[in-house]
Amino acid sequence: MSKKKAQGTNLLYQLIGEARNYDDVIIMGRGDPDFDTPAHIVAAAKNAMINHHADYSPPEGLLALREAIAERVKRVNNIDVDPATEVVVANGGQEALFLMVLAVLSPGDEMIVPEPNYNTYADSLAFAGGVKVEVQTYAENDFRADPADVAAAITDKSRALLLVSPNNPAASVISPPDMQAMLDIAISKDLMILADDIYDLFVYDDFEHVSPASLPGGKERALTLNALSKAYSMTGWRLGWIVGPADLMARVKELKAAISGGASIISQHAGIAALTGPQDAVEMMAEAYRRRRRLVLDALDAMGMKYGLPQGGQFVFADIGFTGMDSGEVAQRILTEQHVLAYPGSAFSKDRKDYLRMTFLQPEEQLIEGLERMKVAMRDMMAER
Amino acid sequence: MASQTKADILAQHETNAALKTPAPGQITRHAKDLGADGMLSPLDERIIAAASEALEAGQTHYVDVPGIAPLREAIAEYLNTSFSAPCQSSNIIVTAGLQESRFLTIQKIGETFDSIGIPDVVHPGVQKALGVRTRNVVSIAVDADRGYLPTLGAIADAVAGGCQLIYLESPSRLSGAAYTSDEVDAIGQLLGESGATVIWDQGLAPWVDGGCRSLASTEDAPAQVTTIGEAFPGMGLASWFIGYIAAPENQIPAMQSQKQIMAICTSTAAQYAALEASSLFPTAHPPRLARLRSAKSDATESAQELNLNVIAGDALNVIALRTSNDSAAKLRAAGFDCADGGDFGASEVIRLNINTTTADALQALR
Repeated sequence: MSKKKAQGTNLLYQLIGEARNYDDVIIMGRGDPDFDTPAHIVAAAKNAMINHHADYSPPEGLLALREAIAERVKRVNNIDVDPATEVVVANGGQEALFLMVLAVLSPGDEMIVPEPNYNTYADSLAFAGGVKVEVQTYAENDFRADPADVAAAITDKSRALLLVSPNNPAASVISPPDMQAMLDIAISKDLMILADDIYDLFVYDDFEHVSPASLPGGKERALTLNALSKAYSMTGWRLGWIVGPADLMARVKELKAAISGGASIISQHAGIAALTGPQDAVEMMAEAYRRRRRLVLDALDAMGMKYGLPQGGQFVFADIGFTGMDSGEVAQRILTEQHVLAYPGSAFSKDRKDYLRMTFLQPEEQLIEGLERMKVAMRDMMAER
Repeated sequence: MASQTKADILAQHETNAALKTPAPGQITRHAKDLGADGMLSPLDERIIAAASEALEAGQTHYVDVPGIAPLREAIAEYLNTSFSAPCQSSNIIVTAGLQESRFLTIQKIGETFDSIGIPDVVHPGVQKALGVRTRNVVSIAVDADRGYLPTLGAIADAVAGGCQLIYLESPSRLSGAAYTSDEVDAIGQLLGESGATVIWDQGLAPWVDGGCRSLASTEDAPAQVTTIGEAFPGMGLASWFIGYIAAPENQIPAMQSQKQIMAICTSTAAQYAALEASSLFPTAHPPRLARLRSAKSDATESAQELNLNVIAGDALNVIALRTSNDSAAKLRAAGFDCADGGDFGASEVIRLNINTTTADALQALR
């Protein structure tokens, strides 16, 4: 009997596992910024170990952290929330995502999902027994999710609409008019909105991020997640949050207590320092990603590769259809032969076998080296055709 | 316009009694909070130094889903030496605390079985974990005279009835009573004969004087036993939330995959702190146990002098009392919090932590 091929999340972790075997590997796959957590946040964590190591935190998180989150979502996202009842702290954006899905979807419920999308949504939806209804987007439109296509996908079982902006892996940003149209659809069809704002600080050129919960009529039907992982380079701290209307957040809070209880007290104190302390490190990293994005796009242009313009996020979704090979195979060969880890589009969606997701979360010289190696691998693949 | 969809979601939520089961706090809120599972403990400066050093060295990124390799090795070593439970690091998943261990095991091991046997008296976190996604539950009767542990007969009945997955605590999270070595062997033999699987919460076992037998140490059943617990309790890491799952290798992939889906990994700072705690635990724990032995003995004596009905329990960090139903309210009125047995399924019981205010709490119950 042949061994079953890894798919989705398992495929990504299989590749990550192999990448560890190569000393000279260049990581252009995982969404883990190369920058370490800013020093003042680490210092705050150390202080918390000394002074707050045994603090009590309820499952929804320390009030001081929830207040900092409320201030942040008001300042950045223009969402008004009451820290006492409308914020729940999670073990990273990933747990926030899982909680959001479980809070809203029951077995048989449908969630409208613009594709491609972050694979864990499908995993979480499967756990909840929900059904994913895909709405396709296309590289030639820079992976724009068309509200008309969303409206057309709605059935009497539809319960929620997932809006990830900037999108992962396609890096598209939902424009303000499109977001308003999405919200109008959600209101008219009485859908809940699951909004993932985790890349909201990374929007490029003249594109603009808007949170659906910030629009009139949006907050009462939207759960919005975010995390410190990407903006503050705090992936290892596992700290994220959900904000939303108090009635739904009461459900989120109970789910949080049932799944894991509170978040680590040290991470919570580090989170307070991140949100309330100096923000210059965030600016510095955002500027670095802007430079790197340009560098990667220039290199892809030079290679003649097509892609949807990354309007936000920390990656580019590039078309490797010219190789004539499945993206899983291409990613595998690039890794094995050239020691570069990029994520296959097929791990995000079965219809994206022609794409690779490449992050720009490495220093520029490494990105240049990684792209050079990818060019060699693809040239070899083409030569075999 | 009000959303009917949201109203439906909320209405569905209201009917989910399991998810809404009240539970004692995971950690102590204040000195008079005697209800929490996790106690206030000092944090050794070497743990602070090790965690700080790791963070300053850039250990601020994602780590392996099941945990950093040295911590998994340390936990495996701890289970081998403290519980004679044969396991390797590949059997270990580091979790964000005991509740995540409960959730992952109940939901992921549970989905491969038609039903799960749950004792009638059990930590309310179990009901909560079941409330997230309904499972077919088979009730297992407990023996109040045996510290609310299920009898071997009740376990055997559940297995004979076709229930092939059983959740057990030893010591009981409510009473602190633990199965004897002979009883553990008998349960192991039952599993060996029936092929049934057990999730074994041994989180209170480190608090048992002279050690507490793990089901994973039995001759007949270790390949069918998954153990869960808090990592190195008493080392000041209760609020950092760090737990473990030790499972047969064939059960690891599904739980690891689910852990990835719902958290990616456990906090790196907490993992490096726990790693340092693992090296200090063997010398730090015995004197702590000795202090607790004396404190529990005093508390038991005081309770008896006050004509309170003490339930025999092996765990030194808790004392459980069979009392009138208003005892929890009486304690609250005096400023104390306790674990209310009603939340566990035994409304006639309260559980108190053993600490500096336990004697005062007992006085308040007079």
